[in-house]
Amino acid sequence: MSLDLYRELCDSLAAGQPRVLATVADTRGSTPRKAGAQMMLRPDGTFFGTIGGGCGEAEVWQEAMETMADGRPRTVLVDLTEPVDGDDKICGGVMRVFVERIG
Amino acid sequence: MGLVAGAKMLVHGDGRTVGSLGSADADEAMRDVAVAAFTATPRVMTATWRLDGRVATDRPSQAAEGSVEVMVQLFEAPARLVIVGAGHVGLALAKIAELLGYETTVVDDRPEFANRERFPMALQVIADEVGPALDSLTLDASTAVVLVSRGHRVDEEALRHAVGRGAGYVGMIGSRRRTRTVLDHLAAEGFPAAALEAVSTPVGLDIGAETPEEIAVSILAEITMLRRGGTGTRMSQGRPDGERLT
Repeated sequence: MSLDLYRELCDSLAAGQPRVLATVADTRGSTPRKAGAQMMLRPDGTFFGTIGGGCGEAEVWQEAMETMADGRPRTVLVDLTEPVDGDDKICGGVMRVFVERIG
Repeated sequence: MGLVAGAKMLVHGDGRTVGSLGSADADEAMRDVAVAAFTATPRVMTATWRLDGRVATDRPSQAAEGSVEVMVQLFEAPARLVIVGAGHVGLALAKIAELLGYETTVVDDRPEFANRERFPMALQVIADEVGPALDSLTLDASTAVVLVSRGHRVDEEALRHAVGRGAGYVGMIGSRRRTRTVLDHLAAEGFPAAALEAVSTPVGLDIGAETPEEIAVSILAEITMLRRGGTGTRMSQGRPDGERLT
């Protein structure tokens, strides 16, 4: 829970600027962050906060950019159990991340 | 039904609501779940609101036809840290507390220590006698008070104005003998035993801290442990036998 994140969200809402908010809804097994962790994406692709970093966060970032474009909220399943070639998803858990455009 | 993904409702602790999930029935059911979340853990959960009006807060059944998953998230006031003593340990505490996201107040009766130049990261710096300074602050469950002043007499005076006022944590630095003496003084003055027993003193987790910075880590580790419900044991302890290297 970050006050700075909510301050920016309020400021951008007031200024008519969109933001995308990604919130870890629930987790199973071992994950870097737990439910409630949030990341906020700006239209230029920069972001504030972290939902755990690494490839999982990169996946969510991709979905967040699409949400920024189409405005449709979605739930992203981040699977950290399957090591992909050259990848390092060694946490071993699964998390669901709710992604929504605000403003 | 009129429920759409992303709909939000804000619930106050007393049950007042702002906004709607899109259905009066869902609002009412989820309001009760949300009010309960103020005092329960985990502080974030997923609840499933079913068509029959029942709410399940156990493992979410992957949204069956006609059911709605609602995430309940508690928005807490930022944790506050009141540091009494602007010396070496006080400064290290303020620095680490900034990293951890605390709103920090520093109190010391010496303006040459308690000032903005020394504590740019603090929300508030009060250069005043510790008693009146503490009396001017609201100490609630999300506030931790740490007494690390220049001497046990000042710590003792600060403790008189910190104990039993509702702070989530009160810690006081000092040796076991010294801190015992301070507690005995206050007990003799009529401060309730339960409130005195709750004071974390000697302060911190036993990590073998020696420098002011290490002591600050030890203190903030203890506060974090209590806030988050940790145990203070090493994560590597208690590994299942199967994971042991032979």
